[in-house]
This record gives sequence, C-alpha cells and structure tokens, in this order.
Amino acid sequence: MSEKKTAHSVRTAVAASLLTLAVAGSFGAAPAFARTVNIMETGSTLLYPLFNLWVPAYTHSHPEVRINTQGTGSGTGISEAISGVAQIGASDAYMSDPQMKQNPNILNIPLAISAQTVNYNIPGLNNTHLKLNGPVLAGIYDNHIRYWNAPAIQRLNPGVRLPHHRITPIHRTDGSGDTFIFSQYLSFSTPYWNSHVAYGTTISWPAVPGGLGALGNPGMVQSAAQTPYSIAYIGVSFANEVRRAHLGTALLENRAGHFLLPTKTTVEAAAGQLINKTPKDERISLVFAPGAHSYPIINYEYAIVNDHQKNTETANAMRQFLMWTVNPRGGNARSFLRQVRFIALPARISALSRKQIAKIR
Amino acid sequence: MKLRPFRIALVLITSLIPLALLAVLVFLGRYSWPAITFNGWHFLFGHTWNLGNLYADPVMQRGQLAPIGANYGILVFIVGTLLTSAIALLIAIPISLGVAIFLAEGLGSNLKMILSFVVELLAAVPSVVYGLWGYAVLTPLVARVIGPALRSTLGFLPFFSGSIGSGYGLLAASIVLALMVVPIIAATVRDALSQVPSETKEAAYALGATHFEVIRRAMLPTVRGNIIGACILGLGRALGETMAVLMVSGGALNYFPGNIYSPITTMASFIVSQLDSAMQDPTGMAVRSLAEIALILFVISVITNIIARLLTGTSRNVSSV
Amino acid sequence: MSRPFKPSRMTRRKWLSAAGWVFAASSFLLVATPLLDILYTVFRKGMSALSLTLFTQVTNGISGGLLNAITGTLALVSGALIFAAPVGILAGIYLSEFGRSRFGQMVRFLDDVLTGVPSIVLGYFSYVTLVIGLGWQFSVLAGSITLAIMVVPYVARFTEIAFLQVPNSLREAGYALGLRELTVITRIALPLALPGILTGVLFAIAISLGETAPLIYTAGWSNFLWNGRLIHEPIGYLTYVIWSFINQPFRSAHALAFAAAFLVILMVLVINVGLTILLKRTRPIRPGQR
Repeated sequence: MSEKKTAHSVRTAVAASLLTLAVAGSFGAAPAFARTVNIMETGSTLLYPLFNLWVPAYTHSHPEVRINTQGTGSGTGISEAISGVAQIGASDAYMSDPQMKQNPNILNIPLAISAQTVNYNIPGLNNTHLKLNGPVLAGIYDNHIRYWNAPAIQRLNPGVRLPHHRITPIHRTDGSGDTFIFSQYLSFSTPYWNSHVAYGTTISWPAVPGGLGALGNPGMVQSAAQTPYSIAYIGVSFANEVRRAHLGTALLENRAGHFLLPTKTTVEAAAGQLINKTPKDERISLVFAPGAHSYPIINYEYAIVNDHQKNTETANAMRQFLMWTVNPRGGNARSFLRQVRFIALPARISALSRKQIAKIR
Repeated sequence: MKLRPFRIALVLITSLIPLALLAVLVFLGRYSWPAITFNGWHFLFGHTWNLGNLYADPVMQRGQLAPIGANYGILVFIVGTLLTSAIALLIAIPISLGVAIFLAEGLGSNLKMILSFVVELLAAVPSVVYGLWGYAVLTPLVARVIGPALRSTLGFLPFFSGSIGSGYGLLAASIVLALMVVPIIAATVRDALSQVPSETKEAAYALGATHFEVIRRAMLPTVRGNIIGACILGLGRALGETMAVLMVSGGALNYFPGNIYSPITTMASFIVSQLDSAMQDPTGMAVRSLAEIALILFVISVITNIIARLLTGTSRNVSSV
Repeated sequence: MSRPFKPSRMTRRKWLSAAGWVFAASSFLLVATPLLDILYTVFRKGMSALSLTLFTQVTNGISGGLLNAITGTLALVSGALIFAAPVGILAGIYLSEFGRSRFGQMVRFLDDVLTGVPSIVLGYFSYVTLVIGLGWQFSVLAGSITLAIMVVPYVARFTEIAFLQVPNSLREAGYALGLRELTVITRIALPLALPGILTGVLFAIAISLGETAPLIYTAGWSNFLWNGRLIHEPIGYLTYVIWSFINQPFRSAHALAFAAAFLVILMVLVINVGLTILLKRTRPIRPGQR
C-alpha cells in the first residue's frame, strides 16, 4: 500500500538526517581542553574587523581560550556586557554618565584609536579635496545649505568650480559609532547643532527632502557611489572601498583652523593632545581636539567590560587577552592595526588601559 | 467516548499557536506600558523620532523617567509600512496568479516540475540576500530604467512624477517585497489549481470555453478561498519583513514620501535598525518605545486581517464535490 | 453559453484568451529573471571562496571555511522543525476538520496575525524571556524555539488548505465503511494532503534557513563547531555570515558572505528536491484522474 511506502520513505529520511546530525555533532566532541574558557565578544561593527584579525592570532598561541566575535552595534555591546550575556562589549562610544551611575562596576577600556572621513560624490570633483568644516556640514545636514555652490562652501574653496546642484546628505540608519563621532564633530564646532540636534549613536536627523539613510559603512559607500552630488561620513577602515568607488575625500577644518586629511601623523597628533586630559576611567571624546595638526574626527575604540566576572578562570583569560590587545607587540602592533587603518594607543593611554584591565576579577 | 482523546489532543496542540502569540502580546504590552503612558496619542501622529540627549541626565517627564528631549512619533513609519505592503501586494497578486496559471495549466508535466522550482527557489532565497541583491542590482535599475519608464508612462499622476533620486525608496522596497510574497501566493494557487477535479474542467470545455476561459471562469472561482488565504499570508510576510526592506528603502527619517521613488522607512525595519541605539538609553524608554511600535504593528496586522476577511465574506472553506 | 456562434465574438474571446496566456507567461518571466540574476550574482561573487575548505574548516575571523555555520544552520532548522512540524500539521488538521467553531476561527485569525509579527520582535521577545529571563544565554534551544514560532503558521495554513482540498465524498465513503474518525483522517485524507503539507514544511524550512535578525539575539554566534549543548552555548549559522561579513572591509569576508548565501539557497534546493522526490514517488493516484 502506498502509505506504507510513504511511511517507510519518511522513516528512512528521518534516520538519514539524524545520522548526519550525529556525525556532524561528533565533530564537536573533538579534543576538549580541560578548562576551556569561552569568551563572547559583541558590539561595534568598527571594532569587529579588528577583533576578527586578533582572535585567530591570539587563539593560535592560547588554544585553551575560545573567543567568539559578533558585530552587532555599540549599543548591543554595552547592553550585553552589562547583562552578562557577553563578556566583552565593543563600543565606539564611551558610556554616558547616567549609564555609569546605573552600572558603576563597568569599565570602558580603550583598545585602539580610529578615525573617520567625510566623502562626497561630485561628478568631476572627486579627485579634488574639498575643504569643509563643522558649521558647513551642519548646515548641509539640517537643510540650511542646499546647493553645492552655496556661498558658505564656495568661501572655503575659492577657485573651485562648484556645481549648482542640490546636495544629498547620507546618514546611517543603524545605530553607529560613526554617527556618534560625526555628530560630536558637528556639535562641538557648531553651537546651533549642539542645542538643536546634539550627538549620539542615533540622532533625530533633521528632515532633508531626498536625504538618504544607509546601512553600515559599505552601505554608505554604495549609496554615495550611486547618488551623484551626495555626501557621507565613512569610517577610515573602509578607505579602500572609498577609493574603489572613486569618492572624493574632504579636508576637514580642525579647532585650530587648519584643513586636514586623516593620516597617521594627523591622527596621532590629535590623540597626543588629549593624553593628559584623559581621565582614569578613560571616558573622553577625542573629537575636535586642539592642536595645529590634529585631525578633528578620531575616537577611542572601547572594550566595555564588567569588572566582576562569574569565575576566576574567565576573569584571568579575559585579563590575559585584553592585556595582549593593548600590547604594542601583541594586538596593538602595526601588522594588525594597519589592516584596519587604526592607530596604536599612546603609551600613557595604554598604561591607563592596563590599570583598568587589572581590575577584572 | 469514541473520539475524545484524539480531538482533545488536537485542540491542546492547536492552542499552542494562539498561546505563543498571546505570550508575545503580553510581553509586548507589559514591556511597553511605560512608553505607552509616556508617549500617549502623540506617538501615532508625531512625525519625529528623537531619542533625546542620551549623554545628559534623564528627567522625569509625564510621570516617566526619560532622556531630555525624548520625543517619539511614528506616523512616518506607519505610512511607510502601509504603502510598501499595499504596493507590494498590488504587484504580487496579479503576477502570482499569472505564474500559477502558467505552471498549473500551461505546461507539460516534465517542464512543469522543473519550472515549478522557480517558485520554490524564490522562497528559498534568504531575505538578507534579497536585500544584498536589491541594493547591488535593483536600486541602480530603479534609478536608471524602471523609474524613468514609470515616470514617462504614468507621470501625469503626481505620485509617479517628480525626482527619481538614487533608486533607494518606496518603489525598490515594494518590488523586493513583491518578489518575496509571490512564492507564497503562487505556490498555493498552483497547488490548488492542480487539485481542481477534472469534472469541473470538462464541464466547462463541453460548454465551448477556451482553455484560458476554463481557468478564469471555472477553476479560479473554486479556489477563490485559497487565493484569499494565501494573500493574507503574503500580507503578513510583507508587513513583518525587516532585512530586505532595510537595505533598499533609503531609511528616510522624519519626512513623508512625496512620490513613489522617495525614500521611506517601515516600522519593522526601523525596529531592527534602531534596536542597537535604543539599548544605549539608560532609562530604557527608547527600547520600550520600540516595543510599542511592535505593538502598533500587531494592531495594524489585526485590522488588515479583519478587513480582508470582511471583504471576502466567505468562510474560506472550499466546497468540494 | 448557448448563444448562436458569431465569428466576431469568438475572435474576441480568442484574443482575450491569448492575451491571458501572454500575461501568464510574462508573469513567469518577470519572476524568473530576477531570480536567475540573484543566483548568478551570488554565485559570481562567492566564487572565489567556493572550494572544499568551506566544508572542512570553521570560520576564522575574516576567512576560513563555513563548517561551523553549516552544521549550526542544520541544527537550528532541525530544531525549529521538531517543534513546528507536529504542532503545525496537527493544528492544520484541526482547522480543516473541526475548525468551523468559534475557537477554530479565532485560531485561524491569530495564526494569520502571527505571520505579521516581525522576526526581530520575536527575537527580542526570546532574548528577554529565554536568553536572559530563563538564563539560557545564547543557545540552540532559544534560536530553534524562536524560528518555530515564526514558521508554524505557514505549516498550519498549508496543511489546512491541503486537507480542505480532499473531497468530502472520500471521507463519507470512509465513514460509510465504518471507519473511525482518526482512521479516516490518517489513512484516507492524510495521504492525499501530503503534497500540500510538504509544501508547507518546505516553506517553513526555507524561511527558517533564511532568517537572521532573531538569531542574532538568541543563538548569538560561534566560530566553533556545535558541541551538542542545548543551552549556554552559542552557535554559528550561515545567514549571520551573510549579514555580518558583508559589512567588513575585507575581500575575503565578502566572498565568504556570498558563498554562504549560495550555500543557503543550495541547501533549500537540495532539501526541496529530496523531499519532493521522496514523497512524489509514493504519491497515490488522485481521484478523478487516470
């Protein structure tokens, strides 16, 4: 009877799949090291590529530690570090005062320094570095400055033929450390923006007709490449993508009035200016740093960690790993940072980070 | 008595479905209650979504602790959701019927099985991949080909005229959603059509109808209930889709679409893109407001389902020979 | 139509019918073309990562293989089916055979509404209640349950529709022969409804294979092979690779993302073909056909 055949076939199929699962599962029963420690890292998509470079290298020499990395977002990183679901939360933004008050035993530990570029897609001008500053960018993003040849932009770029065309500002739809530092640059340089929009990983972007939201840094590159006369802010790790898409990079005005591109020199200069001002808990913004050669949009990349872990093995493993990451011969070596275009922590900051890491118990 | 155990078991297991939904509903309701009291009706009619200043101390406002300047309004997202789902269905329903007819009646059995896989494959593509393809291939296509074509033919209607922009927007999102909904409707209708008893078909032929007329006048009406059911499932998928829409919709914030090419944001995709930022709000008001969005989406889903049922009128039980 | 034959009317009908077929065929083309383009794009961009190592190595930061993601996806989807298939099929049977009551109507209604709940909402719900609330942390169980809740309405609906297609005359014949209700349903109606049920299950598999957002908050992610633990152990899955690796500034990561996309589509196809062949070969003759 046909139902018997059906039943038989179904039984065979189920048996086959269970067998396959059993075989696959047995792979997982491979040599388990006595006392493997599992560490879950989640958070910032800016730090994610760097963690993905670090983890294979570190576990190669420390096979008793299993580290899983996830790129979710700074907010998720902070939240899961607080709730304990993740041991290391990666964040481009330090925690706010109210958050610290709620969670006094959380550490914000800088691991590296990142930067950001402002890019645009203007047919014919993508090979020129236009000069832009905070107030102009604020004007673009809140619909006061609508055309590329607006007087404010032209004033900064005498001698450049700017087209009469509407600007399409592109922002990040997802919560993002890039939005955080970009909006800080706008806030710190433009009082009007500070009082009306302020900064955050998500902000209430003023309505600009045609303004676009893009997902992730690759989305920003793609949207800008596809939209003539657009402008976007992109993390420095994606410089290759920016170059491949033939987008222009802006010279940004810093606090001292100079227009700069993000290079190792300018980023290090900015970081150097704020070494002394960095408090012990290392929560500080590096945006719009003083100094003639300081690039205005840089930030610490943080590991958000609870100083109290569930057992000593985990705590020890975490301390070891984090110490390695801030070590100039370990995670902070040029070979790693160069691939994501971050720069290493200055020595004194590295020392402060190490002091915080030592607190993990 | 005779069949009690079987029926009782059936009822118990069936109730797991409404129970699951109820659990989610209760969770959403309780979790978003503080946000509901904080936001009031303004939530539905405001068109700015402002998390406020997360780096300053939160203040007591309207009985709840919330960041300064926090102001949640979702009218823009409601409009985005309704527009994308409506347009997606408008595109998907006729096309799905066409595909179903083509597959069920238009082919010999070998070709039928092979080409039917087209429909299965459409369902097989993960929504992220739709999103990826959407933003790599579809949005340029909309900007360069589909948009201009639409504007030149239907441009006399204000909705289809105006700036085409970059391709990210309502049109691209609706097209992607339509592609995701087509397999649901087409597969159901195709299966239903192939089950129509041959007596019905033979009777229509005997009356002198062409093949297509047999389909249109004799077969489709008998499966009308199934079609409506599939459309409702498809509507559900469209309302709740997040990833694919997120990648092609353009992420408009705080303004309404002026035409079909304008960027938009839907409620579901907004929740995904904002969940991370909302988690940074120490008062939790932002996440609770996102939960409130989910609750509103649920209400919209219920309302559209009720309307769909009222429109059909029938009890959707196919009467059989 | 007992009117006398008029050439012009017949011609008009012929034209309309032809137009109908053109519409049907063009609809199919309109749908097949983007699909082929998607497959082509995915294959082309993932090609550089397609090799045997995909199946033998685990993800290693920004490159490597996909073994952990593949086995993880299989585990999660199987788990989802273990919950969703029995519940869905039985619910579908209930709705079709006994579902005219108030309770049945309510279930059907809520079932449809459930499909409209965004996957991220279910994911967050599970995150708060299962991952944190019950303390399961990132786990296969949390991920599977979430996926199951997502797909059970589809299984139920397709099952219901399949059962409704079975002609009542057959059921009546069964009762006339003195069979019990349970026997009528399982021996007479079920075999005939099997293709429709299968479609529903295949849909469930396709949808759960392709979900990302809910799993990010319930299953987490793991670079290692699943060790069989149902809770307190995160797990990898292919859609995570697609979603996250595409956002990294490394070419190898992008290629891996597209390779993962290709694998997901391939997996659904294989399961689809496999199950269909398995059950079509034993499909009984349908009534009214030779």
